[in-house]
Amino acid sequence: MLRFLRWSVVAVFGLTASACATMNVSSHVERGQDFTQYHTWQWAPADALPERDARLDNPFFQDHFQGAVEREFHARGMTQTVSEGDVPDLLVHYHANVSERININHGDQTVGACYDENCDVRVLDNEVGTIMIDVVDGHTNRLVWRGWSQSAIGGVLNNPTRFQNSIQQAVKRMFARFPRSI
Amino acid sequence: MRPVTHTLAAAVIAVAALSMASCAPVRVNASLERGMDFTQYKSFTWATDDKFSTGDPRLDNNEFFEHRLRANVERALTARGFERASESTAQLVVHYHANVQQKIDVNALDRKYGYCEECHSSIYDAGTITIDFVDAHTNRLVWRGWSEGTLEGIDHQDLIEARVDEAVSRIMQKLPPRL
Repeated sequence: MLRFLRWSVVAVFGLTASACATMNVSSHVERGQDFTQYHTWQWAPADALPERDARLDNPFFQDHFQGAVEREFHARGMTQTVSEGDVPDLLVHYHANVSERININHGDQTVGACYDENCDVRVLDNEVGTIMIDVVDGHTNRLVWRGWSQSAIGGVLNNPTRFQNSIQQAVKRMFARFPRSI
Repeated sequence: MRPVTHTLAAAVIAVAALSMASCAPVRVNASLERGMDFTQYKSFTWATDDKFSTGDPRLDNNEFFEHRLRANVERALTARGFERASESTAQLVVHYHANVQQKIDVNALDRKYGYCEECHSSIYDAGTITIDFVDAHTNRLVWRGWSEGTLEGIDHQDLIEARVDEAVSRIMQKLPPRL
């Protein structure tokens, strides 16, 4: 409860301040779903979603992203199914795309930390990468959890170290919201 | 301790909802085919899903959102005496669509004249939910209801659910009276 409270407070501040360079992570979950029944998982076949952006969704990304997700499931005691015939308890889809989002940077008008003399508000047009993880019940074929992470990609995609860190952080923070399975 | 945190959490959500509502007023509207006798319709079915993008990856193919919306529409229609029927027998086919766009609230423009105390421009997600009723026999649109400015707070499941509930219930209130 307290954790949720803290999260809400952060959400309120986040909305009013609309911080610009931060990573925005959240999730939706099937209400009342018992996650303790899930023990095995597997990657779902790739979706034929049109909006993949090759700058983000490339082999470098896939390697690091898939590795990070596999570690998260492993840390939760879930095993990846091995043989083709096994129906996994959970099927994991993901997709990554880039969209343009506008952001407003207010500076701080009261304290005078402005960008120029007129203290103008700056409108920033930045490209935002979204990584989405969909977790589907392998038996009912229903979506049980969706997590996402959004952050500005400027200066990230062309810097392997930052890109890698950012993928790790995104996956870690998304899975921090994944329902406990024990 | 527990009830206190509960109330507190509710308060926080209320504040969040209010602060968002302030920059995005919810507008609900509907239009009815001219001369349409809506009382003739008694049964409905769902159209096969449109797979249009909503404009926001968080809502695209989001089954939680879709189920919530459908459940609300079904509840409202049943309460008005409509029956859910099979595809072949239903008189009305119900479509829905959600769309999200970023909007800028240029509040800061008035700063010079002192209209606002805390002059902030802000960016918000303006969402529209549209619900269409199509006559199953003539295939013509007979009623359309929509709600604008309703899809903020996608990151917070509780908020978005409350917003979907409110939007659908307000849209359905615009349905023509039956008898």
